[in-house]
Amino acid sequence: MMSFQLKLTNEQYLLYLEAFMKKLEKEKDYITQLDSVTGDGDHWVNMDMGFRKLIDQKSDLEAVTFGEMFKKIGMTIMSTVGGSSGVLYGSGYIRAAQTVGDLQELDAAKLADMLQAFLNAIMERGKAKPGDKTMIDTLHGGVESMRQKLAENAGDAEVLRALKSGALAGMESTKEMEAAKGRAYYQTNKGVGNLDPGAVTMYYQIEALVDVLMSDQR
Amino acid sequence: MKKIINHPDHVVTEMLEGIALAHPEVVYFKEAEVIARKEKSIKVGLVSGGGSGHEPSHAGYVGKGMLDAAVAGNVFASPSPDRVLKGIQEANGGKGVLLIIKNYSGDIMNFQMAQELAEMEGIEVDHVVVKDDVAVPDSTYSTGRRGIAGTVFVHKVAGAKAETGASLQEVKQVAEKTIANIRSMGMAMSSCVLPGVGTPSFTLGADEIEIGMGIHGEPGIEKSPVLPAKEIAKKLVEPILNDFEKMSGEVAVMVNGLGATPLMELYILFKEVTELLKQHDISIYRAYVGNFMTALEMSGASLTLLNLDEELKALLDAPCQTPAMKG
Repeated sequence: MMSFQLKLTNEQYLLYLEAFMKKLEKEKDYITQLDSVTGDGDHWVNMDMGFRKLIDQKSDLEAVTFGEMFKKIGMTIMSTVGGSSGVLYGSGYIRAAQTVGDLQELDAAKLADMLQAFLNAIMERGKAKPGDKTMIDTLHGGVESMRQKLAENAGDAEVLRALKSGALAGMESTKEMEAAKGRAYYQTNKGVGNLDPGAVTMYYQIEALVDVLMSDQR
Repeated sequence: MKKIINHPDHVVTEMLEGIALAHPEVVYFKEAEVIARKEKSIKVGLVSGGGSGHEPSHAGYVGKGMLDAAVAGNVFASPSPDRVLKGIQEANGGKGVLLIIKNYSGDIMNFQMAQELAEMEGIEVDHVVVKDDVAVPDSTYSTGRRGIAGTVFVHKVAGAKAETGASLQEVKQVAEKTIANIRSMGMAMSSCVLPGVGTPSFTLGADEIEIGMGIHGEPGIEKSPVLPAKEIAKKLVEPILNDFEKMSGEVAVMVNGLGATPLMELYILFKEVTELLKQHDISIYRAYVGNFMTALEMSGASLTLLNLDEELKALLDAPCQTPAMKG
């Protein structure tokens, strides 16, 4: 097998957004049901509204640098998603924009930096950390295992697989966690036994991104 | 889902348009989803807001003696920082702006980010966080207590203080004193339906009620079969009184409907609350019975007590003229 070189382009990022949107549409009932158990049932509606708006405005995101694209995505999500997810994703994308600057494409190391910046911004804005039963657990799991593979000089395909599997493990770990932040905290059992819906939609994003990138690998 | 709406995506915008049409003393800023006073004055500006679905909170409290601007988010979701920033800009009369935030993760993050944005524009901004729901233990490491109907007392008291020409720090101080002296407790009898979701957020059995439930359907502390009003009153009054470290003996009482509870039932609950308070030698200085902070069509009610001193009494009595509170 020829070694696979990750070069994330603007075009692929838009394909990824569409792939995530498709997955989100499909899982409406599942996410809403998860959120009704631990939260207030609006996570899917708000995410859907924000990402639908992004897809509608897709032409604005074409042929711009990653920095400009992420900033636009961040501002759109912040103003349309609202709630906790909006400001957290908005803060994440805006920080990520600073990391990628005027690059036209991202390699594996830069993708890791971008995801790390995204994660740091979410943790700072939400005053939350891994283990709090949030989307942070998914992203943190993915970034950590991705970084480990990068440090081992693994091939890009392996790095991407690690991103996805680490994110999946992170998402699954939220099931047995007690919530410290957000509305799941108000549950008597702090949401134990249920996946965090925000962790699940974060996983859908990482899964969709990795799948789009890997689909180029033949 | 049966609702008087045109499209689930448009409920917030169309509601705010309706409010501005019904109450010409306020002005609506589309896109930012802000309702602000038409007539501006040089005083500390007060801004509150949060997810929609709690009407008349908060747009109904914009007007003389209460808020200067209210910022609406999507149903049950905090408004974004850019919307809150618009609210701050509209409320700014040159003496600074105080944000009255209900204690939810989303509201805190969005309002604080808006505060940072406004400060970058040179507007002096400070904030207070209302956490009055005794159904949730107070806590510093986590989200902690929710902000519910007691927030309306903060609007009233801080709003009256701001009208006196007080400074931002003085208004903040009296808002914090109010927050320290309010306790609330709710109960629900049936769920609400988010327009964008279309199905009930939670289910309660036909004969089941939930004590301590939050205004977004967050679970409470106890499910029980339907109880007589007398017993329900007890389940609301006792935890509130137990939570106060000390009381003056005089309170303002708010019996708040969650959206689908008839006023008849709210007055029955109020009567029972009055009798319980009498047994504890607590007198009622002022009473508020009605729908002040709802949860869409949830049925049920919340009780709020504001422990009073002379300053708070005077500020409660000060005139106000808003769509949802006059006097």
